[in-house]
Amino acid sequence: MLEADRNENIEILSYSDVVNVEGYIGNFRVKVKRNARFVSEEKCTGCGACTEACPIYVPNYFDENLSARKCIDIAFAQAVPAISDIVRDSCVECFACVDACDTEAIDFSQQDEIMEIEVGTIIVATGWDLYQGDDYGYGTYENVITQIQLERILAPNGPTFGHLKRPSDRKRPKKILFINCVGSRDLNTNEYCSVVCCNLSVKNSKLIMSEYPDSEIVVSYIDMRCGGKMYEEYYRRARNAGIVFVKGLIGKIEEDPLTKNLKVEFEAVGTDMMLEMEFHMVVLSSASLPSQGTNEIASVMNIEKTSDGFLKERHARLDPINTKVTGIYLAGSCQGQKSIDLAVSQAKGAASSAGIPMKHEEYTMELIRAQPIDERCAKCYKCVEACPFSAISINDEMVIQVDIISCKGCGICEATCPSKAIELAHYKDNQYVAYINELLPIAE
Amino acid sequence: MAGTIRAQYPTSLRTVLVPCTGRVGVDMVMRAFGRGADGVLIVG
Repeated sequence: MLEADRNENIEILSYSDVVNVEGYIGNFRVKVKRNARFVSEEKCTGCGACTEACPIYVPNYFDENLSARKCIDIAFAQAVPAISDIVRDSCVECFACVDACDTEAIDFSQQDEIMEIEVGTIIVATGWDLYQGDDYGYGTYENVITQIQLERILAPNGPTFGHLKRPSDRKRPKKILFINCVGSRDLNTNEYCSVVCCNLSVKNSKLIMSEYPDSEIVVSYIDMRCGGKMYEEYYRRARNAGIVFVKGLIGKIEEDPLTKNLKVEFEAVGTDMMLEMEFHMVVLSSASLPSQGTNEIASVMNIEKTSDGFLKERHARLDPINTKVTGIYLAGSCQGQKSIDLAVSQAKGAASSAGIPMKHEEYTMELIRAQPIDERCAKCYKCVEACPFSAISINDEMVIQVDIISCKGCGICEATCPSKAIELAHYKDNQYVAYINELLPIAE
Repeated sequence: MAGTIRAQYPTSLRTVLVPCTGRVGVDMVMRAFGRGADGVLIVG
């Protein structure tokens, strides 16, 4: 990230939303809303004087709310840009930070700004969000946490400086249960498999086992899906390290009110046994969801989504990087959850795909395009609705216009038009009439 | 696919090339029936 920030050809517009995209490959006009962050990017040096002055503590969202931070603080140590960030909902506007700031960077009168930029190609990489349902007592029982919270606990810069401590009493949990497929592979929540969680369970349980060999770790799964290069071997090593993997159906989880331990009843599939065990901590491998703004970005860019809510590629097998809009590419989890290696491959693919037309400064297309014929048009505008590429628009004089670059020459408009007022070049109606008549001659 | 696996089809079949199955309208299908086709297969 720092490298990207230092590259003179890359401009980072953080804390911003894309609100409108117009145009086509080579000539996209993008409107970006720069949200007011109340701290000037130019003036803030990231010195941290405001953080010291601030009297308000808020949950630290970067630590998945496992620790506290000041209301004004740098989001995390490696944040780019390294400037202060105000949690505005919790701010009491005491303006202690304004007085503390030497560079006069904090400005509470700042407004949202709209800026317009022109770009040739667009790569969408909006990532994913974590499913946070109340399954298995998450949110009620203190020691039921998500994998991402465990990641923060195990991180050297996390809330416990990398020492394994459970949230309720800050003691080391010895018996840990991992539950896979929470909110995934379930027709009541999300049908899809979130792909990465099996390996995440293997990784984190193995990490805990190597650091604390006296731990007792159970991983309850529906199926272990450790596909991909070297992952099966990794899974085997975890089993050899003494981690117990159980194909289990979790019955119920109850918290002991005194010890805050969790009593879990579950069925070990294939053994006819109901197991009852007590754990010090339960870790949920929660599902990956499309990130919060995916719906907006899909409608703004006129790209489609698949039934799982992630952004849709042009072809699931043969064209997994392009979208149906030429010049807009997908990279990473916004297209569907994937492992880091696949996300890197796709990002490199997207960068190359975008780089080729940018370098050539040329875009070749076929001339099979829709042509409207205004004299015949009854102005029903069915074609406008039917066009999957939003290439047909109505101009000021209520006349149909086709954007020949957005048009992909599918001919749906021509098949839809009741008055034959739109024609597809080289695939016109009278050509088909002649074609079919010739193929199926009627004996005179 | 049918071509790559060298699939055979009856000589009574007539193919009409379209850019996309969306291009096929009711009028085209009805014309084929009207001119004596026993069936119309829209394949994409």
